Amino acid sequence: MIRRIVVLALLVGGALLLEPLRVPTEGVIAPRSLFLFGILLLTADTFGAVAHDVGLPRLIGYLVAGLALGPSLSGIVPAGVLEDLSMMKRLAVGLIGLLAGAELRLSDLRARYRAVLAILVVQGGAVLLTLWALALVSSDWLPFLQGLAGATLVFVALLFAALLTVNSPMVTLALLEETRADGPVARTILGVVLVADVAVILLFTAAFSLAQASLGGQTAGAPEILGHLLREVMGSILAGAVVGGVLTLYLRFVKREMVVFAVVVVFATAGAAQALGFELLLALLVAGFLVENVAPVRAEPLVETLHRMAVPVFVVFFAMAGAELRIQEFAATWPLVVVVAVVRAGAIFVGTRTGSRLAGAEPEVQRYGWMGLVSQAGAAFGLATVVADRLPGIGLAMQTTTVGVISLNTLVGSILFRRGLDRAGEIVVR
Amino acid sequence: MQTTLAALAVVAVGYILAYVLFDRLRDRFGYVGGAEYVVIGFLLGPRVTGLLGAEQVQDLTPLVSLALGWLGMSLGTYFRLPTLALLPASHLQIAFAEASATFGAALAALLAIFRYLAGYAWSDAAVPAVTLAAIATLCSPGAVDAFADRARSRDGILPVLQLTARIDALVGVVAFGLVLAIFHQGEVSPQVRTPTATEWAVINTAVGVASGILFHLFLGPVARLDEAEGNSRLFVALAGAIVVASGASYYLNLSPIFTTLVLGFILANSGSSHRDVSRLLQATERPVYLALLLFAGAAWSPGTVDLLFIAPVFVIVRLAARLFGGRVAGGEVAQEPIRTPGLGRGLLSQGGIAVAIALNYTQVRPDLNPRLVLTATLLSVLLFEVVASREAAEFLAALGNRTNGGEAQTGERLTPVEQGR
Repeated sequence: MIRRIVVLALLVGGALLLEPLRVPTEGVIAPRSLFLFGILLLTADTFGAVAHDVGLPRLIGYLVAGLALGPSLSGIVPAGVLEDLSMMKRLAVGLIGLLAGAELRLSDLRARYRAVLAILVVQGGAVLLTLWALALVSSDWLPFLQGLAGATLVFVALLFAALLTVNSPMVTLALLEETRADGPVARTILGVVLVADVAVILLFTAAFSLAQASLGGQTAGAPEILGHLLREVMGSILAGAVVGGVLTLYLRFVKREMVVFAVVVVFATAGAAQALGFELLLALLVAGFLVENVAPVRAEPLVETLHRMAVPVFVVFFAMAGAELRIQEFAATWPLVVVVAVVRAGAIFVGTRTGSRLAGAEPEVQRYGWMGLVSQAGAAFGLATVVADRLPGIGLAMQTTTVGVISLNTLVGSILFRRGLDRAGEIVVR
Repeated sequence: MQTTLAALAVVAVGYILAYVLFDRLRDRFGYVGGAEYVVIGFLLGPRVTGLLGAEQVQDLTPLVSLALGWLGMSLGTYFRLPTLALLPASHLQIAFAEASATFGAALAALLAIFRYLAGYAWSDAAVPAVTLAAIATLCSPGAVDAFADRARSRDGILPVLQLTARIDALVGVVAFGLVLAIFHQGEVSPQVRTPTATEWAVINTAVGVASGILFHLFLGPVARLDEAEGNSRLFVALAGAIVVASGASYYLNLSPIFTTLVLGFILANSGSSHRDVSRLLQATERPVYLALLLFAGAAWSPGTVDLLFIAPVFVIVRLAARLFGGRVAGGEVAQEPIRTPGLGRGLLSQGGIAVAIALNYTQVRPDLNPRLVLTATLLSVLLFEVVASREAAEFLAALGNRTNGGEAQTGERLTPVEQGR
């Protein structure tokens, strides 16, 4: 512990000591950002080790380190630096997407598709309906619903519920990678979370279009909503298929320098995703899935490479996610945030137990499966930002509340999932 | 951001194309150069196709700094003192004599050119002259190792060549690091006094030392970790230390190569993980080096005068200084049976650290003719990569050390430098 305290003192002290020796300059990645990125990386890993020592998931440590160094608390890593480093985060998201797709095996999905679908539908439906009802009932206390009525109230409340239905493939994968857990709970939850990633985008996009139309913004009729959904989801799947094809050709004919190639694929797909408006994570998830399950090549070299890169990638992702957590917003709205988070967790518990019982899933899945579905992270934060940016007025207020809930779910959800895996006896590495 | 991502993708695609096309040459003929990556980078860059625009090349500067740091660290890990202590003192004398004579001769010639032909003030002439002299001194350790690998015997002059290539790199990087510290440029915050030249040099070294200490403290006892976890921790620790050291140097307008050379030296000489560090760095060195060549090619925008006059003059100066250094060390310092006045012919390849220094110079001193330094370096890389392998092969054949391309047996009498990796 003393060693880790010395490391942290050196990192933070070094950052503070060197800061005045140069007047900060601007750039896409300013000189200061690269230096602070190193500080963030090492600090997060040190916090991760401390979290592990006290029996918590490492990613809690990464998040706390990001929070401690980020703009919310110490401000050593300011918002501008995080903006500079968004390229690193995108790389992390892309690599995790590829890994997630490659981890999703068709044989596993076939074996447990009933459980995955039942949990997805019942649990997702339970969360959506419960939170929708909660929002409508308590509209007078939710700042973004105050003063709304009729269809507008209904659709904005639906958008709020849809935003909180999102799960976190990142947290799930990070915990499975850390614990190397294997068993019914791990496999079922991975399947639910990855399939839900597609379903939730559809749900969110529909709810968003309805809310936007009801607020008198851009008109969004059924054909337009459908077109948007098709572009987002089908575009992602199509892009994933193209990327999967490229990966297959590379694995067949070149099969060298896999690290460089994986990074290239992610950057190229990220560039295309920004230009064409599809989702990076989904596209690379599809690509990884196709290479692992459909392509006539052995995907081991790629999968092994992605596993080797996983730890640093998770450190980067969660440290930056932690730096973006807004503790002030949580502090300002905590009673509301706690109520919403507890109601959501209750709906997940009931929905998952019911869905898994209906599908006849293993007793461990019925008992502990819900614990893997509480966490939220990157995708949910991203969608909350979309709401704030594109729904002037109520968007910012909704973001403030939902970001508080998502922050709480990120921290509590990962602890719950680890505990669930532990109780199910599926953890291989402690 | 979007264009930067696209630029990165273009760079990486270029890298892979070149890798696939030229790897066969490497496998068949022992070609390790990398000049083709400079050409591909140039073709992708703003001067030819414009796939990589000038702005995107500029945007990628921090990543270039990171790559520079990676190469500097890799070089630093070669200097493991217990291994160096196994070397005959005569080899070290030859290596240092060759490096000093080459650097001294190149510096004298370049200072004269900048001062009397180009009309620079002494203070303005010193920075590019020292930088180019450092580049002239550098020889690619990878290229020398490649002919050592293809020679059956490890006796005679080969260990001296391998050591000399590394001492050349050491002298070059240290000279460059010191000149950037002594003639430091960049504003400091109004709350603090501007450090003196000596203080900047100390800061540059201290960042490397502190990063090394940080690495060990951070990594902690790796013995109790399993292999996969140990590797992950090692990678995070190493990447983190390099990012911190390179980032700090880049932030302070100093040389990341020098800082991480110090970091590599610290890691090679402390703790129990030096072999793992060297293994990991070697596994990642080639992609980093080749990506750097691509960046350099893309950033290259040669002026006609530079290309037709000044850069060829630099190539001639380097050739003359190299042969002079070889004659001094191999002919005057070395004794029989390794007395070889033509030592310089075995050390002509230019290598990636030269490109790294030139790129670093363009970042730190954009006011002192960076285009000229980059043009001279890249021209030197292109020309010497063409002739270096053949010259070295003829030099070794003349000494009776070279065989017809046979591979060295694995584990066969490794040189101390190789043992230290």
